[in-house]
Amino acid sequence: MKKQITALIAGTILCVSAAFAQNADVVEKSFYPYKEGVPSYKGLKSGMVINQANVEQFKEILDESMYQFIKDGWTEMKITDTVAYELNSSYIAATKANLNKVTLGTKTGDIQGFVAGRPFPAEPNADDPRAGEKLAWNYKYGYNWGDSGAVYPFYWKFRDLNSAKIERTLKFNFHFLNLKHRVTDTPKPDLPRNPGNLFRAIYVQVLEPFDVKNTQLLIHRYEDDLKRDNAWLYLGFQRRVRRLSTGQITDSFLGSDLMIEDFEGYNGRISDMTWTYKGTKNILLPFYKHNDQKLTEDHKMSDGYKFVAYGGKGGCFPQVDWQLRKVYILEAKPVDPNHPISKRVHYVDAETFTLPRTVIYDRKGDLWKTFIIGQAHPDFHIAKNKGSGVSIDDSFMMLDVQGAHCTTGQFKGQLDSKLSPRKKFTVQNMRVTGK
Amino acid sequence: MSKLKRLKLRSRAAALSLIGALSVSSISGAAAGTSDDGTFEWNGFIENATFARKGVGISKFRNTMQLEMSKEFNTGSFFSEFSLNMTLRATYDGVYDLNKSHFGRTAGGAINLQSTFSGAPSSVPHGGGIVSTGAFFFGFDRSKNPNDGLMVLGGNSHLTDGGVAFAVPVRPCDVDNRGCLAGYMDATLNGLRFSDFNDRLDFLRELYIDGNIPFDNGHELNIRLGRQQVVWGRTDLFRVLDVINPVDYSRHNIYDELEDIRIPQWILNMEYRMGAVGSFEDLNFNLVWNFDKFRPNSLGQGGTPYQILGAGGFFRGMKNCWDNGCTVANFAGLPVPGTTGLAATDFAPGSIGIRQVNLPKWKLSNTQIGFKVEGVKDGVGFSVNYLTYLSQLPSLRGGSVGPVAFNNFTGEKKQYPYLIAFDIDFPRIHLFGGSVDFYADSIKSVFRIETAFTTGEEFANTLRKELYSKSNVVRYVIGWDRDTFIPFLNKNKAFLFSAQLFGQHILDHELEETAGSKAGVPSFGRAGIPDWKDNWTMTFLMKGWYMQNRLSPQILAAYDFGARTAVVSPSIDWLISDSWRVIVAANFKFGRGAAKFDDCRSCNPWGPYTATPFHTNPLAAGSAGLKGFEPLGRFRAGPIGMASNEDEIQLTVRYRF
Repeated sequence: MKKQITALIAGTILCVSAAFAQNADVVEKSFYPYKEGVPSYKGLKSGMVINQANVEQFKEILDESMYQFIKDGWTEMKITDTVAYELNSSYIAATKANLNKVTLGTKTGDIQGFVAGRPFPAEPNADDPRAGEKLAWNYKYGYNWGDSGAVYPFYWKFRDLNSAKIERTLKFNFHFLNLKHRVTDTPKPDLPRNPGNLFRAIYVQVLEPFDVKNTQLLIHRYEDDLKRDNAWLYLGFQRRVRRLSTGQITDSFLGSDLMIEDFEGYNGRISDMTWTYKGTKNILLPFYKHNDQKLTEDHKMSDGYKFVAYGGKGGCFPQVDWQLRKVYILEAKPVDPNHPISKRVHYVDAETFTLPRTVIYDRKGDLWKTFIIGQAHPDFHIAKNKGSGVSIDDSFMMLDVQGAHCTTGQFKGQLDSKLSPRKKFTVQNMRVTGK
Repeated sequence: MSKLKRLKLRSRAAALSLIGALSVSSISGAAAGTSDDGTFEWNGFIENATFARKGVGISKFRNTMQLEMSKEFNTGSFFSEFSLNMTLRATYDGVYDLNKSHFGRTAGGAINLQSTFSGAPSSVPHGGGIVSTGAFFFGFDRSKNPNDGLMVLGGNSHLTDGGVAFAVPVRPCDVDNRGCLAGYMDATLNGLRFSDFNDRLDFLRELYIDGNIPFDNGHELNIRLGRQQVVWGRTDLFRVLDVINPVDYSRHNIYDELEDIRIPQWILNMEYRMGAVGSFEDLNFNLVWNFDKFRPNSLGQGGTPYQILGAGGFFRGMKNCWDNGCTVANFAGLPVPGTTGLAATDFAPGSIGIRQVNLPKWKLSNTQIGFKVEGVKDGVGFSVNYLTYLSQLPSLRGGSVGPVAFNNFTGEKKQYPYLIAFDIDFPRIHLFGGSVDFYADSIKSVFRIETAFTTGEEFANTLRKELYSKSNVVRYVIGWDRDTFIPFLNKNKAFLFSAQLFGQHILDHELEETAGSKAGVPSFGRAGIPDWKDNWTMTFLMKGWYMQNRLSPQILAAYDFGARTAVVSPSIDWLISDSWRVIVAANFKFGRGAAKFDDCRSCNPWGPYTATPFHTNPLAAGSAGLKGFEPLGRFRAGPIGMASNEDEIQLTVRYRF
């Protein structure tokens, strides 16, 4: 009997140890997908250029849109080595600490037990009908801009794809603040005095040109994903704050090719979409070291910072390096039948859970827009970003293939909490900042 | 040199400096920019707005240069942020030179006034009344008040049609000073051409310092001191809570953006921002102290292209009547057997009209103060407001509290109940209000609601011997906004639909049948307050965007339910580049147009001489209800109806730098 009890205890200890080891392994695999080696593809080498001449050879590791753009001679793709983007250790630690505590509720948008970190670090399973939704949660609660960040400044250019004419140049400041699930900046995990139980806030201010100067956008996203965001727009020429309807969230933002819902790849609720995991793949994504890129003298800042250059068809394509990376293909179909799109296909970077490539289809199901968000490594960017463990959004292109038009974005992403104090994220701040 | 002259010279010098600075800026190609350290920003624009009016020709040729600057200062730890902000504007309206026969030095001419008295000509020249010099004390000196440079009151919007009319001088006040109200409606030709340059330094659109004082608990006190606009409320076009700054309706009636027509005031604006606190997602307390010398709304003046409710012309004509005498159309019923109608009558100076405008002088008790609590709770934005201020609209106090006037029958001078002799005053008003906005997801619509209850407002009232009465008033606006796709018009971009319903309820409204209306005589009606007791105005906006928002067509329409008049204003806004913008627009009015109301010709102020057959006691004053378009019908016609003949096409070109 004594032996049996001893064996039972020993067995239990072994099982628990194995479970711990397994759990640790899940987290390791999720955050360090290249620990055992980076992906490779026959003929693909660092420093080479994929262009019209050799694109067929690499069709398998290109998303459909990029393949077509290169095939048509609209752009070329300079290849660099795959480099690990290790996210902030606090975020990884929070993931470990809260592992297996998160569950989905009955409805899309329901989540329980989440504290901080990556909620579902396990590899997605094609047999899991909610695998797509879990990936979406991983993106929503991703490390993104950390607990707070700013794009300061942020230049958008409206370009004619055929003539390459720059029709408009808008200069913004973008600010992001997580009010909950914080892992690096104190207080954490949650900011106090949050009666609305907001998860995140985004504040946007237009600095130029004059006709839209001081236009400001404020988005409050609730922790309860089933609760609709609150959004306000301040119009400088009216000196009034106007509440936005959802129609404006899914409409062209200030005439650009982006809707507010497109920000960061997807800027909406989990419950607004039906999410489907479509598989895992290695494809080429725009991940690069900003300081090693071809940069433009346009808008050069007094501290010497230069922005990413653009070229290719219409001047729409960021001139940055691409690397072969592991992605989860995630399809998002709007729940609202009146939504202006039929679906987005996101190529989710498995290591960072950013959305560097998204393809958007119109209501008829035809290709409408294609979205690139270039990801810069924080250790090769401005000094204050070094060691932040944030994959920095650094360049974007939203190309409307139907309208032959694109909007490009040049970022100066700054991980500096002083640039995004909490008071910036109030309706009153819009009135005060406006005039 | 008088203080006034010094001020004017200073204003002119500042104007020249500003024009010089702006010209240098534009000639040298200087563009908007930011200093190397990012603390100084500047930008601006040059604009030409050319409007043409049916039957008139050019009604606006306004050229504007505006320069905006801000400078941030590092003031150490006391202020977390501190800045100086300035906006300068220089305007030249060439309409007074290009269309001088309508609006400038040679505007107006000799006029004839209707006289329905059947025993004499059907119209008489100004100064040629049927009842005139020789009859009692009637008549006036035509050499001081010649028949030149005049228009018939209301002639732009309606016929006299048996009602009241008199001459309105329409030339700038340095060309013809008749009817000019000192300090209120007395613009010279240059004052009209260069409307931003005046004794109140209106070219200085804004000049204020702005500082934030942080507290350890995360709260913040914002102090903004200087010349500025303070905007309350959540609605467009209507001013329910947005009443801190007066507005300049002479610029383009009710149709310009409020941003461009609010008249900046010297204000201390303090805001204690608590952010998220308790159950509020955002909570702020605001104190506004407008310590500027009182400034009324600018309503335009006789002879200018834009006059809300035609008030400028009416006031100028009335002031001329008081100062110089005037011929009033269709006034006197003459006891001549076998005749009908009313004879044009020449009133002597000092008998009817407007004697003076009593602009409140600067003193502490005439300053204006407001409080506001504003925040967000459970996703609903709200504000609670209180403001005590001086009415920006004029109140005409007459009759028994009006000026001592000259009885044209007896020569006696005293205050006469019901006599249309007035002084203009600006009473103190207390406003209690609030606003909310929220989003209704089920219908994908945003609602904005704003309401105010005021005490102390004064309204014309022909039932009162003072010819005005006070009333509490409730006003509100319910706004609805929705973005909606119309695929056959634009499959990629939604249209904005926005509607607003503005309601006004005069709680102490008075309107009664008169002896004339009871008798069923068609030309007689009810007496009392001409404004509608309950009235609503609806606005509707449909706006679309094409070419990355660079081409934006829209239709803006408004309908005044009481007046039964509408305005439709289609426009296309084309942003050619970041610098160039063109707006082509039109403004068409429809509906009933001018309206009639008791005009107090039958008020019998000088009984028994002015008694009508309906005055059972010929010595008793009070209205029998004879009505006409002027002067009180304007309150029934409203700002749309009174401008019913002012259909326009409009072209605006703006270059931003």
